Amino acid sequence: MYKYRASKDTGSKSWVMQRITGLALVVLMIGHYILMHYHPDSGHTYQAVLGRMQYSWYRIIDLTFIVLGMYHGLNGIWNIFRDYKMKPWLKYSVISALVIFGVAFTAWGFNIVFSIPYIN
Amino acid sequence: MRGNYRRSPLKLESETKSQSTYKDIKTFDQKNWISENLGYKKDSGNWAWIFHRITGIALIAYLFLHIYSLSPLTKGEAAFNAKMAQFSSPFFMVIEWFLFAFVIFHSLNGIRIVIVDWADGAKYHKQLYRLSWVLGIILFLAMGALMFSHELKKLF
Repeated sequence: MYKYRASKDTGSKSWVMQRITGLALVVLMIGHYILMHYHPDSGHTYQAVLGRMQYSWYRIIDLTFIVLGMYHGLNGIWNIFRDYKMKPWLKYSVISALVIFGVAFTAWGFNIVFSIPYIN
Repeated sequence: MRGNYRRSPLKLESETKSQSTYKDIKTFDQKNWISENLGYKKDSGNWAWIFHRITGIALIAYLFLHIYSLSPLTKGEAAFNAKMAQFSSPFFMVIEWFLFAFVIFHSLNGIRIVIVDWADGAKYHKQLYRLSWVLGIILFLAMGALMFSHELKKLF
């Protein structure tokens, strides 16, 4: 007997997550842009970065920003791929590539944030 | 002509050819029916969709680039300041300003999408699209003023 095998995942959770992370990113991104550009030095000197990174809450915001941005961005790329009909091997290759790139760059970003020392 | 949909130039060429030879015969074009009748219309929020996609791809590409360009932070002050000196030129400041145009379009259109998916929001999607352009241009100019105010003060 023929049985139609397909994913039960309609993508609704991904849809909701895309909305939630998107709205969070709007707030974070506007704040980030103003903070980085209200003064030419604020985003472009080591001292300014070091000064901000003395606050752990600021590090937490930055790490959240990386994770949310990566998730939202790569989920968006995956949604573009989902508009096309893909052979299973291509589908899994694309997902794997996105996950590997996402995890690698997120880890790199975390590494950069944690490498900045606390001055006591 | 079925409606006033735009077609791709390739199809338009073949259409005009067949129209000139079989002028009065109306045939059911099964092969192209879907693309001609159910294709995306370029006037109902489709530009918003295209721009949202382009800006989205550009922004995720920039996020990768951003993590790469901040990586000298691991090597200490001298390496980071040397890298940032490259990005402090007027050329890169203008690039950053135009990056903000991408950010603000994607943000405002993203909010528009959330509203359109909400209860009755779909009724207002065209007004919201126009509003997002107006707000976006205002915020783009405001960000330009914020970014370049220090440079302008130096000049005057």
